[in-house]
Amino acid sequence: MPIFDQGYQHWSGELAGHTWRWMVITRQGVRIGLKNRFVRILLLVAWVPALMLASVLCIWGLLERNSDLIAPFIGILRSLFGPQSVADPQLYRIDVWTICFHYFLQTETRFSLLLLLVIGPNLISKDLRFNALPLYFSRPVRRIDYCLGKLGIITTFPAMILILPCVIAYLFGLLFSLDITIVQDTFGLLLMSVLYGLVIAISAGMLMLALSSLSRNSRHVGLFWLAILMVGAIMATVLEGVDHQQRIHAYRSAAGNVQSRDAIATAEIEASRTDWRPLVSYTADLSRIGQQLLGANQSWEKLSQWLPPNERDVFLLKLVGPQFPWYWSAAVLLILFGLSACILKIQIKSLDRLK
Amino acid sequence: MHSEDSNQIARSVEVEPIVIFDEVSKWYGNVIGINKLSLRIPAGVTGLLGPNGAGKSTLLQLATGQLFPSQGKVRVLGREVWNNSALNRFIGLCPEQDAFYEWMTGWEFVHTCARLSGLRRSAARDATQHTLNAVGMAKHQNRSVRGYSKGMRQRTKLAQALVHDPQVLFLDEPLTGTDPVARRDLMNIIERLGSEGKSVVVSSHVLHEVESITPNIILLNHGRLVAEGHVRQIRDLIDKHPHHIVLICDDYRRLAAQLIVRDDVEGLAVLAKDKGLMVETHSPDAFYGSLPGLSLAEGLTIREVYSDDDNLEAVFKYLVNK
Amino acid sequence: MSSATSASEVGHPVNRSLRAGRFSLTALTTLFLLTLRQYMHGKRWIVMGILFLMPAGLAILIRATRSNIPSEALEFLIVYLLIPQALLPLVALVYSSGMLQDEQEEQTITYLLIRPMAKWAIYLVKLLATLTTTVVLTAVLTTLTYVAIYLGRDNQGQSVLLRCVQSISIHALAVISYCCFFGLISVLTKRVLIVGIIYTVVIEGVLANLPFGIRLATVIYYTRIIAYRTLDFVIPTPHGKENIAADAWQFNIKSDPSLLDHPQLCTAVTILLVSSLVFAALAAILCSRKEFYVKTPEKN
Repeated sequence: MPIFDQGYQHWSGELAGHTWRWMVITRQGVRIGLKNRFVRILLLVAWVPALMLASVLCIWGLLERNSDLIAPFIGILRSLFGPQSVADPQLYRIDVWTICFHYFLQTETRFSLLLLLVIGPNLISKDLRFNALPLYFSRPVRRIDYCLGKLGIITTFPAMILILPCVIAYLFGLLFSLDITIVQDTFGLLLMSVLYGLVIAISAGMLMLALSSLSRNSRHVGLFWLAILMVGAIMATVLEGVDHQQRIHAYRSAAGNVQSRDAIATAEIEASRTDWRPLVSYTADLSRIGQQLLGANQSWEKLSQWLPPNERDVFLLKLVGPQFPWYWSAAVLLILFGLSACILKIQIKSLDRLK
Repeated sequence: MHSEDSNQIARSVEVEPIVIFDEVSKWYGNVIGINKLSLRIPAGVTGLLGPNGAGKSTLLQLATGQLFPSQGKVRVLGREVWNNSALNRFIGLCPEQDAFYEWMTGWEFVHTCARLSGLRRSAARDATQHTLNAVGMAKHQNRSVRGYSKGMRQRTKLAQALVHDPQVLFLDEPLTGTDPVARRDLMNIIERLGSEGKSVVVSSHVLHEVESITPNIILLNHGRLVAEGHVRQIRDLIDKHPHHIVLICDDYRRLAAQLIVRDDVEGLAVLAKDKGLMVETHSPDAFYGSLPGLSLAEGLTIREVYSDDDNLEAVFKYLVNK
Repeated sequence: MSSATSASEVGHPVNRSLRAGRFSLTALTTLFLLTLRQYMHGKRWIVMGILFLMPAGLAILIRATRSNIPSEALEFLIVYLLIPQALLPLVALVYSSGMLQDEQEEQTITYLLIRPMAKWAIYLVKLLATLTTTVVLTAVLTTLTYVAIYLGRDNQGQSVLLRCVQSISIHALAVISYCCFFGLISVLTKRVLIVGIIYTVVIEGVLANLPFGIRLATVIYYTRIIAYRTLDFVIPTPHGKENIAADAWQFNIKSDPSLLDHPQLCTAVTILLVSSLVFAALAAILCSRKEFYVKTPEKN
């Protein structure tokens, strides 16, 4: 026919598969999240530790090349990492890098949790409040696509401040070191850092999504989140504090008036290997996984070798984290992940089950 | 003290319009909601019309004291309305948003609103029952609002606006989302309120429904006042668009031949299917006056005469969709 | 099919002596009761329940794992460290942050604004209902905790009861101050949650523990002063009696045993009460001038 219908024409092409359908939701959500000025400020501020990490790695690289530029920093490095590490920086390279990445990721974990507090509560609670779920499920979008899309949003933002800065700081460290063997030594560290970043982003993201699906009021979701973080941390502190005081009193009663700091420190370190109390705190569980993946405790132990034996435990007590088996924390995080997945399965109903 | 207030307000109603907007503007950052609006809404039922985003809700929120005008003054019943909570005794608002205390029953909700208006316990009870009867919700009053249909929710909203027997009612899109039966019932209620002496301002963009309630309209567009008054008067004033008059006649072609030579006929269209003609003219009254003479002189039987655009839809189209 | 009644029905039965003023006690009482009912609804109760059982649960857990810990030490840790530092601000934030913002988000605030009640009166009545709820919950929380700590211990009935009552009073004063402060913040900004967290964690959590002037601007400091001057925190240890509060709260009792450099009991109570009144009044004034955007666009 020479004259064609200008009205509605049904799409007769092929639809894209389900594999990347969730990315549409993620892309849109990230775009909306970045429009929030407070989020942009937070992202900017969260990069300050990344600058510091890059600076320390660069300084260590210069130290390895015996550069005169870092002469003013030698004293600080000696006090932080010990004189033997400054004397032979290449030998202690992996340990110093490990500790730097560890502290960086600890700091960024706090920023991530704050970032999740800002962007997370609205993700599903707003959809429930404004009855937007039919808008999704009336299209060929499955529940898993919806959940993956939302998870993509909520992991993108922490990943921006956890994983991306790690990679960039690593590259800076390589550039300033100019030693090809550094890749061999530290590539595993980069991979573990990225993995740790993913663990934080996915675990915390999933938990936040589950909380967001429980209420139509995003403020309540934020408060639930805070309750989990704050109250858990304080409970762990109280439990540990009570336990610590009991041990000190018991030790003093047994040892009389002779107080040996290193003996107390040794006892404390020994007790921390079986102390379950930090498990109550979500941030402590994340931290324990990080310690295990990065090997921070082993690095501190190596760095403490320059100290006399009777001072090592005192030194380590201040710096190493909890020493209980890492798989306890992994179990807690897995249980929370499973619980979150169950909550999402129950709360996100497909169209045929929506009222 | 309080009866003096009522008397003063009653006297003011007789001499002043119910609502006065005096050079009122309202903006939200860069968005202008209302733009230099001067308006006097008389007593009786008035339709507030405009397309989406015209400023109808902003106008109603200014009139009920929920918003403070960025410029100008708003007076209701002779009093400034901002921060004048005492005036709310005489004002009722049926808001547009579909928001309730969902965990309450319909009765509890209206009763709570009655008590919030200051009614004492027994008076609130009686007023609640009376109002729920009036809006046709008595049968469902003990069900949770969460389980109500859209029409029931609109009726309940109207009930809370009426429960304290206000003198002025502002209804923001009261017919939205309702089924035809509920819509008819609500329109009847509004007409009855007008006949009982209450002043009602009904905001809507459903023209034929407003037209069936009242011929007095206020037309807004882009935050500005476009027209106000009786639909017919407004139509007469729209010079730019000639009036369309439809004539139904069996011998319509001969009638057309007679009409085409007249000076007051600007255009002519044949409606073959209806056996009629549509005439365009700028002087409808003169044209109507000449029709009997023409019919007699030429022996033409004109079976039907009506104006195709002497209605709200045409007014809206001409003034808004330029 | 329901239909409206006919136009010939009897006129409206509204009492014509209805008060048209701003201070209708009926209206304000109804608003007070409505707010209390609102607080009874929703999933907020699940979180509150978990929060309120948590200190008691913690006490039971500690007693089960470390049965030789002195009750007074446990009481100090939970009732005077955990509850005022973490739980009271959180409870106050949960309720006072949503006083008006929840109504605005749910779009039910319109029904209050179009009633003959001044906006400042609406705010103050809702604040009063919030304070009533939080004080009652605090009393329940504290009592449950004392029961968990002292149940089954040596018969100290009357002194424990007295301490419990004193603790409830101190916590009530603290939660009133927090509610008034967070209520003011909720009128000033939508991001009351973020501000509240920063205040609780940074100012009350960190700065209040510093022995400098900044702690004079925190609620927790005055709470501690009142507690220290009212109650006895000396507990027996293997090495003699120790004042556990002084060390934890950075009170230098070695050089100033009577804490003369710190406010007296009456001063501390007065400061908390007066500051609460000031916050409440300020918030009410701001509220009376505020526009509550429900449907129309917010200002940029």
